[in-house]
Amino acid sequence: MDRALKTLLERKLGTSMEGPVRLRQDQAEIRIRPGDLPQVMRTLHDEPELRFEYLADLCGVDTGTTFQVVYHLWSDVTPDWLRVIVDGIPREEPRLPSLTFLWKGAEWMEREAYDMFGLVFEGNRDLRRIYLPDDFVSFPLRKDFHLADDVARSPGGGVRPMERAGAPKDADETTLRRTSPGA
Amino acid sequence: MSTPTRPSLDDPALSIPVEHAGIFDAIPLARTERQQEFYALRDGEMLLNMGPQHPSTHGVLRVILKINGEQVTDLDPVLGYLHRGVEKLCENADYHQVISQVDPLEYISSLFNEWGAVLSFEKLLDLEVPRRAEYIRVLSAELNRVASHMLYMGWFALDLGGITPILWSFAERDEIMEMLAALTGQKLLFNYFRIGGVNGDLNHEFMSRLGDWMSRAGAQLEAGMSLLNENEIFVRRARGLGVIDRETAFRMCVTGPNLRASGIPFDLRRAHPYSVYPELDFDVPTRSEGDSLARYLLRMDEVRQSIRIIDQCLHQMPDGPVSARLPRLLRPRPGRAFSAVEAPRGQYSTYVISDGTDQPFRMRIHDPSFLHLQLMGLLMPGNLLPDTMAIMASLDPVMGGVDK
Repeated sequence: MDRALKTLLERKLGTSMEGPVRLRQDQAEIRIRPGDLPQVMRTLHDEPELRFEYLADLCGVDTGTTFQVVYHLWSDVTPDWLRVIVDGIPREEPRLPSLTFLWKGAEWMEREAYDMFGLVFEGNRDLRRIYLPDDFVSFPLRKDFHLADDVARSPGGGVRPMERAGAPKDADETTLRRTSPGA
Repeated sequence: MSTPTRPSLDDPALSIPVEHAGIFDAIPLARTERQQEFYALRDGEMLLNMGPQHPSTHGVLRVILKINGEQVTDLDPVLGYLHRGVEKLCENADYHQVISQVDPLEYISSLFNEWGAVLSFEKLLDLEVPRRAEYIRVLSAELNRVASHMLYMGWFALDLGGITPILWSFAERDEIMEMLAALTGQKLLFNYFRIGGVNGDLNHEFMSRLGDWMSRAGAQLEAGMSLLNENEIFVRRARGLGVIDRETAFRMCVTGPNLRASGIPFDLRRAHPYSVYPELDFDVPTRSEGDSLARYLLRMDEVRQSIRIIDQCLHQMPDGPVSARLPRLLRPRPGRAFSAVEAPRGQYSTYVISDGTDQPFRMRIHDPSFLHLQLMGLLMPGNLLPDTMAIMASLDPVMGGVDK
């Protein structure tokens, strides 16, 4: 835990942050609004006292109600990882600014977040699917996208549809049902 | 009730809608700014498809090259042929099962995949790992790093047209793999690390093989390197090829040996220490040239450092348990944890969110090969067609990790 980083972030970012700087183990965490992202990141990257020049990770998160985009940064001024959470991205209109103007390398990570969550990064000049085929219609890491295996955990289910399809036609119903859901 | 008839090809329900027709064409519908730029051919340019099955793509990678004569002017990598949706599978597995899910990602260095995952779970659980377990982890992971770098040496030479080095390096790698098989029970996907420790203590076969190997590893490595380092064809070809400068390296989020070959001494084992690395004495080698030759030589320097670390681990190995006692079902308190390990290819990190149940709410896996493959688009334009594969081999991506 680096308490000096906490006061430094409070001084440099001020009201751009939502809520306090949270410190836990070797991670410092701040939350910001989508609109403040370019300005906050530019401050973190360019300010000589902060020097967060290395983007360690970029990922999307579906909380179930809204989306988040989480950035992890590293700097030689602190032994901690800095986690920047862009919070409260609406599900209906998941848009936020792209960071490719600071880190060109974020381009593919943003493409991945688009592919998995449908997050639209404005300013990314190559925002298209990266893993899944171009004609795929849904976004698989969203919480409302269920795997076929999830049937196994639903009450009364228990066997994957593909296993059921491969079973003999005259199979007893009880052999197609596991004893306890999720077992 | 009418009897079903054979479907007719004129049936509008069976024809491909116009908006989807693009994916079957050689040139897809340009949707993004970058695609419009890429698919606009200037005079003398043509598109060349390479892959997805190509011996030197190190997995299943398709690259669309835009070439002008023998010169590559632009390229567009197409990923996803190995995509297994591991992040989603992890969200549907419990914390112990995740270890075997992440194993096949970077299959050349599986122990680091496991380490990234267990490290973040241990942070979530605030768990203390026994010191003997930490030493065994470092020992086995450094062995894995040597095996991975040896394979790199052979691969790189193979992509430049040399056959012998891969035979030599496979002999080394195979010995290490046999050793790790004696320790973990598996030869490729080890499934050895556990939350709070490792799966089993060091055994006699592993130790005797390791002692045997350590007595000749240094000499063997020098012999293998003399095959390439003094080969004029190899050195002249690799020198000055695909130069990454400091600015580009940071801008493109490059990590690991590729970053250190550009003169930046960033190694997570020192920059953000984990496990028992602070107690071990080793150097972080760097090179300033940033070209393919520097990336190769740097990895060979790292092998020497790894052998130093293994030697220290053997001498300082403490006694004690190799695993913390944990319940079968883990329910960490709600929270978030991020951890990163220095894998042979760079920073391998995991970000895990717990919601208090026995399954991770979100499990993000960040693989260095993904970002190094992205660098291809920057390094290759301007080079000759046969050099593209040499540059790619020097960056050492593994498609299993890229595609997740």
